Amino acid sequence: MSINRPFLVLRLRSFIFTVATLSLFVFSSQSSRAQFLHPKIQSKKTTIRNVVVMPAKVNIVRDSMKGPEGMAAESDELSVRVEKMVTEVLSKQKHVTTLSPREESGQADAEQKYSVADFQTKFDGLLPNIKKKRSDVKKGRFSMGDEVLNKNVEKSADAIVFIRGEGKKLTGGKTAFNLLVGGVPAYLRLQIGIVDARNGDVLLYTDPVLAGDPTTAIDRLRKALEKGFKKLPAVSAQ
Amino acid sequence: MLPHKPTILIVAGLCFCIAFTPPRQVAIAQKQKKTAPVEAVPPPLNEEFKFGNVDLELLEQSDLLDLKLERDGLVLRDEAANAYLRNVGQSLIPKGLVLEKVSWRFRALRDPQPNAFALPNGSIYVTTGLMTLIDNESQLAAIIAHELTHVMRRHTYMQNRSNRKKFLSMNIMAAVGAYAPYGVVGAVITVVTTVAPFIVMATMYGYSRELEREADLKGIDMMISAEYAPEEMIGVMKLLDKDIEGENIRLFYNDHPALDERIKYLSTYLGARADKVTAQMELNRERAAYFRNMEALMRHDLQLSINVGRFRSAVYLAQRLIDFHADSENLFWLAEAYRTLGPRAPELASKELTNSAKKSAAKQREKRTVEEEERDLLATPEGKDNWQRHQQKAEELYLRALNAEKPVPVAHRGLGMLYEKLGRANDAATEYEKYIEQAPSATDRERFQRRIESLRRTQ
Repeated sequence: MSINRPFLVLRLRSFIFTVATLSLFVFSSQSSRAQFLHPKIQSKKTTIRNVVVMPAKVNIVRDSMKGPEGMAAESDELSVRVEKMVTEVLSKQKHVTTLSPREESGQADAEQKYSVADFQTKFDGLLPNIKKKRSDVKKGRFSMGDEVLNKNVEKSADAIVFIRGEGKKLTGGKTAFNLLVGGVPAYLRLQIGIVDARNGDVLLYTDPVLAGDPTTAIDRLRKALEKGFKKLPAVSAQ
Repeated sequence: MLPHKPTILIVAGLCFCIAFTPPRQVAIAQKQKKTAPVEAVPPPLNEEFKFGNVDLELLEQSDLLDLKLERDGLVLRDEAANAYLRNVGQSLIPKGLVLEKVSWRFRALRDPQPNAFALPNGSIYVTTGLMTLIDNESQLAAIIAHELTHVMRRHTYMQNRSNRKKFLSMNIMAAVGAYAPYGVVGAVITVVTTVAPFIVMATMYGYSRELEREADLKGIDMMISAEYAPEEMIGVMKLLDKDIEGENIRLFYNDHPALDERIKYLSTYLGARADKVTAQMELNRERAAYFRNMEALMRHDLQLSINVGRFRSAVYLAQRLIDFHADSENLFWLAEAYRTLGPRAPELASKELTNSAKKSAAKQREKRTVEEEERDLLATPEGKDNWQRHQQKAEELYLRALNAEKPVPVAHRGLGMLYEKLGRANDAATEYEKYIEQAPSATDRERFQRRIESLRRTQ
């Protein structure tokens, strides 16, 4: 009996550690599914009817026993999928119409690309401030300024949607390692901001999280997005 | 037999980890190595490097990153600037050098942060921020030579291979540590497996610093071969050491050697080649030629710097442009830089340049938006004083830009924004109207049209 005791203790310790890590992750995910609305949206002074969705930037890595590896092709694919799904959820659940950004060709193409890139950078610059105190979106603290009008988005757009995300996919070895030793499981965390197309105010911020392989969890991704936009008032169908 | 089994397994695991952590790469060994002289050997023309699956995967990721940077509008589409970079880069590559799976590409990246990097597929990127900061072609050659060495010596592949082994060691150590038994043996194992990952981590960064050092020194050799002034490599380091925005934070682990350390070992290395030191007059001529070639890129970078809140850099860089060529557009950019600098001091005080001050400033940047920072500064007497001085200076410069030969219409826009902030609604609206009249196809027309309407309503 004395032979088995250390093994029993070891197993128990590893089990407790794994459960603690997983529950920490799950509970933190629950709390970060919160969504924050600008007072203008909450009081329904502003309604989001038409939006322009900016190209999503989702970056995932493969975590193996030999460290993280890039997944550039999969990240691109996932970015497109997330962008489409956000469009779908907004239109089906909230009856929000998605407009395509104004396209220009030839010589203006480079300028257009720069314009989109600078616009995305501007949002990336504001994102750490938002993440630091997400609840301040409810106080109307964050704005990108009226520079949003420079960005050549469709004129009838009420708002612009920015999507960011990061995630981790685990290899078989790393999954087994996590089960034995503990560690962060596979996940995808999104950060979605909806910005007023006229004055740059951040109207909504949500950061849904889903546990599991980010490249295959399509249904769970949809559910996470639906939860993420739950508080956004739907446009009355006319 | 059974009671000994876990201990044997643990010891075997630790031996495995140690086997993957060669003692020559331990941080202590690093320190001793740094003092050793480095021989000047040009990059070999025929390499021994054999590609493995891991390397091919990394190569594929690099190709995809190239595409992504292009697609996301981050690569500068200025053919003249890219051609200039290409010419400098090609002149540094040893003649006859053929490297497997390398296709040289030299491009400017639209980023105001001074930086440069090389991908293992041969793509070299230099940010507009770095190209605007440097003084002449030799300094650009120094940057490219450093990056070329990374590609030629296959540093990225080597580091990736080394890091993978070290990550594996760390994970095994974590597994061993998690299953350590109780008692003295368990305590020893726990201590060893807790400390060992830090040592492995130190070797990772140490290896990275070793490669950076090699790139610096081989870079000098390449500059000499291509007849560039080699001491300009030190010039670049000194410029980077200026830290205008107070963002060079020293961390516990650093993948590059400290800049002062780099200046020191480069000076020692270059000491033996004193005969190559270029005359100041020659460098001044080179500076003028460089600024002529890069003027458009520098203006583009000023806009990027202002967009991301690098106002001090914008003032510094715009002033350099004015010193070179005080035309209407450059005067406009200096005016813009001063207007957006607002209540901030144009230079950081020495107490703001300590490592702890930089760290707390970085935390503050996460907490406060740019507008909130301005509001807080305006509540202080120094902030108010700075704001008044900078607005005055900006107004003077906008007016000079408008009175110069071939005045740029954007100067009216800038003046309008300045007057709006000063509460001079009528003057602001008038300036905006002039801007729209003189630049009817401007992309920000709608924005200023709205501002005019709003200003006229409030009168």
